Amino acid sequence: MNSSLQPSPVSVTNSEPPLIRRLLLAVALIFLTLFLFIPLAAVFYEALRKGLGVYLAAITDPYALDAIRLTLLSAAIAVPLNIVFGVAAAWAIAKFEFYGKSVLITLIDLPFAVSPVIAGLIYVLLFGAQGWLGPWLAAHDIKIIFAVPGIVLATVFVTVPFIARELIPLMQAQGTEEEEAAMVLGASGWLTFWRITLPNIKWGLLYGVVLCTARAMGEFGAVSVVSGHIRGLTNTLPLHIEILYNEYQFAAAFACASLLTLLALVMLALKALIERYTLKQRWIVTLEETK
Amino acid sequence: MSIEIQGLHKRFGHFVALDGIDLTIPAGQLVALLGPSGCGKTTLLRIIAGLEMADCGQILFNGEDASRRQVQDRQVGFVFQHYALFQHMSVFENVAFGLRVRPRARRPSDAQIRDKVHALLELVQLSWVANRYPSQLSGGQRQRIALARALAVEPQVLLLDEPFGALDTKVRKELRRWLRRLHDDLHITSVFVTHDQEEALEVADQIVVMNRGHIEQVGSPQEVYDAPATPFVYQFLGNINLFHSRVHAGWVKVGGLRVQVPEHDAAEHAPAMAYVRPHDIDVLREPEDGDTTLAATISRVSSLGSLVRLELIQAPSGEIAEVEMTRERYAADPLQVGDLVFVKPRQLRVFLYNDPKVESPMHWSGDGDGI
Repeated sequence: MNSSLQPSPVSVTNSEPPLIRRLLLAVALIFLTLFLFIPLAAVFYEALRKGLGVYLAAITDPYALDAIRLTLLSAAIAVPLNIVFGVAAAWAIAKFEFYGKSVLITLIDLPFAVSPVIAGLIYVLLFGAQGWLGPWLAAHDIKIIFAVPGIVLATVFVTVPFIARELIPLMQAQGTEEEEAAMVLGASGWLTFWRITLPNIKWGLLYGVVLCTARAMGEFGAVSVVSGHIRGLTNTLPLHIEILYNEYQFAAAFACASLLTLLALVMLALKALIERYTLKQRWIVTLEETK
Repeated sequence: MSIEIQGLHKRFGHFVALDGIDLTIPAGQLVALLGPSGCGKTTLLRIIAGLEMADCGQILFNGEDASRRQVQDRQVGFVFQHYALFQHMSVFENVAFGLRVRPRARRPSDAQIRDKVHALLELVQLSWVANRYPSQLSGGQRQRIALARALAVEPQVLLLDEPFGALDTKVRKELRRWLRRLHDDLHITSVFVTHDQEEALEVADQIVVMNRGHIEQVGSPQEVYDAPATPFVYQFLGNINLFHSRVHAGWVKVGGLRVQVPEHDAAEHAPAMAYVRPHDIDVLREPEDGDTTLAATISRVSSLGSLVRLELIQAPSGEIAEVEMTRERYAADPLQVGDLVFVKPRQLRVFLYNDPKVESPMHWSGDGDGI
């Protein structure tokens, strides 16, 4: 026991005593176990508790399939929109000086600051039957609230900051010299963006996309307000899970929840894989050179 | 290609970066823009490149107005202080970039690009790093690759922004000699920005000394060093001793010392600044006749490699003067701290305070009357 408290040769540069280090490590691990690993395991345990048959029935239920379809649809619209907006906003903020820049940064943060429920209410107030544009929309037979467009709008709103926020510090740190070098060499603005800017931000962008997608699929509050919970029409996966849960169909609720969890895990794994792959590529070049 | 700059002005908010620049850069020369930080030299370079737009004024390339030409169409090569190599591309792709982004009609074939890139890498003596990434190179290697990349598009003008500023002294010296040789081989009109007077004096054909957004003097290294046009140029190029003095009827009087200055014949009791370089002062054991020397006490002796520097306290005023002499000369008569000596300036340059060319920088005022 005593020997394990002796500082190892590796820890010479570390000023903290080993006991403290172990304590800190233990606290971090206990925290992670309590708040991350156990809930994660619980989702899958609960989902499969009544057997694989119940699990499969729950996720192939027509309403569940509709909810999955709608969730993927709103993510498929929200994420590309946010890629375009996020890159454009980050580009403008990081590489140019203009009036109203701080206002733009604050506006990008707004969806973080505002409760998602308020975000949903904003759209109800704007587009709802009693809203500002309600009568005009009704006259032209356009349905936004309690329909798919409303869900997409709410999803876009709450996911606005993810990509822009990820890219702004990255692009600010990189500066504009590489772009300037490319333009002096004759590259147009468009070519410079595709050949220089985009490759330089791709990891940040990918990370932003992963976060944005996860949030788009998992968003509950804002979507709940504008959805109207019409089964098979305006229910997204999180809303569907809530309904199942409220109806005491715990196994089915957890089965659907496990789907959302899996989607998130798959994306994180994807990011780690691509990152490792490109790092390896560089290593190979270095090794061949040094042979 | 020659470059002509006429009446260039540039402001950033309230800061005046360039205040009426007129300059002609003859074809085939290597010109240094020299000045302290914030003097506008980098802004001028970026405006020539087209990376920045002037508020007013014109830039002519070979007599043709290029002021409104886009950066892509100016046919310039630009080398950045921090290299600005494309991090995600190999060295080969970095150098090939300018050729690959050409419109299809003017784009060379892959084989031509390969030959060209390898020729350029040979030129910068780095053909063995073609497959590496910029992060795997040293600073000096990166800057040479940046130069190869700039030369790949066969620019009419080569612009270098503090090209050696981020390198350590030894590499910097090596690279600037190499740049000079390269320029002698290629004869491409080149402009480089530097705040290092030694670098400018060693490398450039012409030096443009800049200060606070305007040009103080243009001339060969010898001209600007030996005949500085303004006090600023005098103090920026090398060490100086400054004596506050008075000029009357062609004579300048510094304490008990009197020196003839025929160029200031007309001045009457005018306050003036007299400059002497530390290596332009003789130190004597005995006074000379006729007010040609000043008494002083040696307060410090330090050895600087091939030179010995003496610090002297002038007898009446108590001000400090610096003298530099060769090691041999010092060895012939080793002066010690505390010795009483007599100093005699060999060359002295006088500027009158009321001369329009002379602005009085803050840190020079208030020294009182000299020796």
